[in-house]
Amino acid sequence: MMVDFSVLTHNAGAIAGGFAVTLETWLAGTCLGMAAGLAMALLLLGGGRWTNRAIRLYIEVIRGTPFLVQLFFLYYGGPSIGLDLEPVTAGILGLGLYGSAYFAEVFRAGFGSIPKGHLEAGTCLGLTRWQMVRRIMLPQMLVIIVPSLCNTIIVLSKETAVLSVITVPELTGILTGIGSLSFAFLEVLVALCAGYLMLVELTAALGRWAEGKVGRYMIR
Amino acid sequence: MVSRPASTPDPSGQPRPAMIQLRNLVKRFGANEVLKGIDLDILKSEVVCVIGPSGSGKSTLLRCMAFLEAYDEGDVFVEGLLLGYAQDREGRRVRAGDPELNRVRRNVGMVFQQFNLWPHMTALGNVTEALRRVRRMPRPRADELGLAVLEKVGMAHKARSYPAQLSGGEQQRAAIARALAMEPHIMLFDEPTSSLDPELVGEVLQVMKQLARDGMTMVVVSHEMGFAAHVADRVVFIDQGRIVAQGPPEEIFQGQQQAPRLQQFLKDYLERNAFWTRTGEDPG
Amino acid sequence: MATLQSMMQTLPLLLQAAVATVLISLVSLCFAFLIGTAVCAMRFSRSPLLRGLAAAHVHFFRGVPMLVQLLMLYYLLPSAGINLPSLAAAIIAVSFCSSAYMAEILRGGFLGIPPGQLEAARLLGIRGFTCLVRIQVPQALRLTLPALVNEVLLVIKASSLVSVVGVAELTRTAQNIAASNYRPLETYFLVGVIYFVINSLLSRLGRLGERRLARAHSS
Repeated sequence: MMVDFSVLTHNAGAIAGGFAVTLETWLAGTCLGMAAGLAMALLLLGGGRWTNRAIRLYIEVIRGTPFLVQLFFLYYGGPSIGLDLEPVTAGILGLGLYGSAYFAEVFRAGFGSIPKGHLEAGTCLGLTRWQMVRRIMLPQMLVIIVPSLCNTIIVLSKETAVLSVITVPELTGILTGIGSLSFAFLEVLVALCAGYLMLVELTAALGRWAEGKVGRYMIR
Repeated sequence: MVSRPASTPDPSGQPRPAMIQLRNLVKRFGANEVLKGIDLDILKSEVVCVIGPSGSGKSTLLRCMAFLEAYDEGDVFVEGLLLGYAQDREGRRVRAGDPELNRVRRNVGMVFQQFNLWPHMTALGNVTEALRRVRRMPRPRADELGLAVLEKVGMAHKARSYPAQLSGGEQQRAAIARALAMEPHIMLFDEPTSSLDPELVGEVLQVMKQLARDGMTMVVVSHEMGFAAHVADRVVFIDQGRIVAQGPPEEIFQGQQQAPRLQQFLKDYLERNAFWTRTGEDPG
Repeated sequence: MATLQSMMQTLPLLLQAAVATVLISLVSLCFAFLIGTAVCAMRFSRSPLLRGLAAAHVHFFRGVPMLVQLLMLYYLLPSAGINLPSLAAAIIAVSFCSSAYMAEILRGGFLGIPPGQLEAARLLGIRGFTCLVRIQVPQALRLTLPALVNEVLLVIKASSLVSVVGVAELTRTAQNIAASNYRPLETYFLVGVIYFVINSLLSRLGRLGERRLARAHSS
């Protein structure tokens, strides 16, 4: 089997385009997921009985079903209820909804990790609930949740590959397409692995840096 | 809002207003009745020490005074206003909303056994946080006030340190400063020195003594009998959810109050702490 | 309602496919556990080469998306002259991917045993294989059971991706049904429910197992 990377260089433009779509869907999905997840965790703090039940059900369902099925539901099932989405939009929405359940759990655990006494001190001093969340809970939580946030973001970056199944022109889709046309599967393979490993490494490194920064006050 | 004007004349004949009034206070945790009907008045500038065996309900009592626990029956009045509850349109008692609760509780400050300093802020940050968020003070003014109150507790030189860099005694003094910064009329102390290494206890008690001398109304739950004996105006002994005995320290500690449970408690305490009588010294 | 009736008609087919999903997942999990144990053992080996290989294995199979691994295997093998049925390729891909996570879980379990226990064992003369079997493995199992149960659930969900290479499991069957009855919303909803039920049942089984193991250790 001959290894010839020229097939990659010839299609560099398309590959770059695919990588761009991967980045785009990943970052947009992550932002959507984090925002929705944080909102849900905050609502869980507030504690209305029915909102809590609804949110917990949502989280269980999203975490209990395959991402691919959720995507199919959105993309192929959407038109039946008037939701006609472009593949990329469906991909971002799907990724965001999927991620939101995991982010919600991370934030929920973070809120729960704050010692009750810190909040009691705040209540006694007259801080409102919102002030306590913003000034006391979130900053303290960061150290604890940064690793989990980072993990979830890495998981989402790998899930972007699944988007290729609903014809989103991201990295996996583009490269397997090139592979099918040219039969240069080994080279495509290498490119795919390199692409994702690089993304994962970079995110992990960013995560470690972030951990260091938010944990500064813990050093004696 | 319910108001209860009340006052008790002090020895000089002038009525001292009651800062906190507890009337038949009952608190249950599930099936366990921890406070079984407490009646207590805390007068202005009075230093009241609450002592008692563990499980007697003394911490719960203090926490009810700050509404950190919602009491089940009875009333807690802070400067004449009912704490934590209000009357709805039909005159029934309902939980007061946060703004109402904060208004009544505004002049009560609390110091905790675990300090509860926020670890991601400096000492000065901790002290000024409420000034800036609740009083909406601009930062320079808040910092100025904060440094002044830290100076009062002897912590001005550590204003920029984080809690992780402070000793236990320093942390607790910073926590006291944090409560003092809001200029409370009443200070509640929940076993303020119980988490401290013995050699650090003194610096915290010193600060508390100074506060008492300056006329602060204080309610202190503590095992520090020396503090109770020398600084308190009144000592309250609680056992199994009821006030068993109360009075000036002389009465309580010199055995003039005959309550048997109080005598047992004091005897146990002295046995644990009077170690010098067990080294074979001739008790002549 | 016409929709409900037609959906009920597809149910037997879907349940059959669900069985396929569970079987594929369980077979893959068994292989993954075996491979993962081997990799984990390599991680603790005294040879830096073995340790490096194990680390690379974990790094690779956790860093590259499973779908990519699956497609790689599916397309690469024929061009190397090996013709495997898609089911075999699917199981191999899922097994290797999961093995990396298993290896890490097991590693965490072994590292989580309080070191004092091993010291005590050594002083009593219990070493090597005996120590491993009588002291380390039982403890590691207890520590890792929740994570292992979680991995089972993850593989059940991940198995949906093998539909992409045409294996007739739950998701693939759903796609076929949706294509023929033009009711994608209802079909994928039903399939989602089936996956959810499978996961809930397995998760409950897992908790039961954890509790029994905990009781066995405390008595």
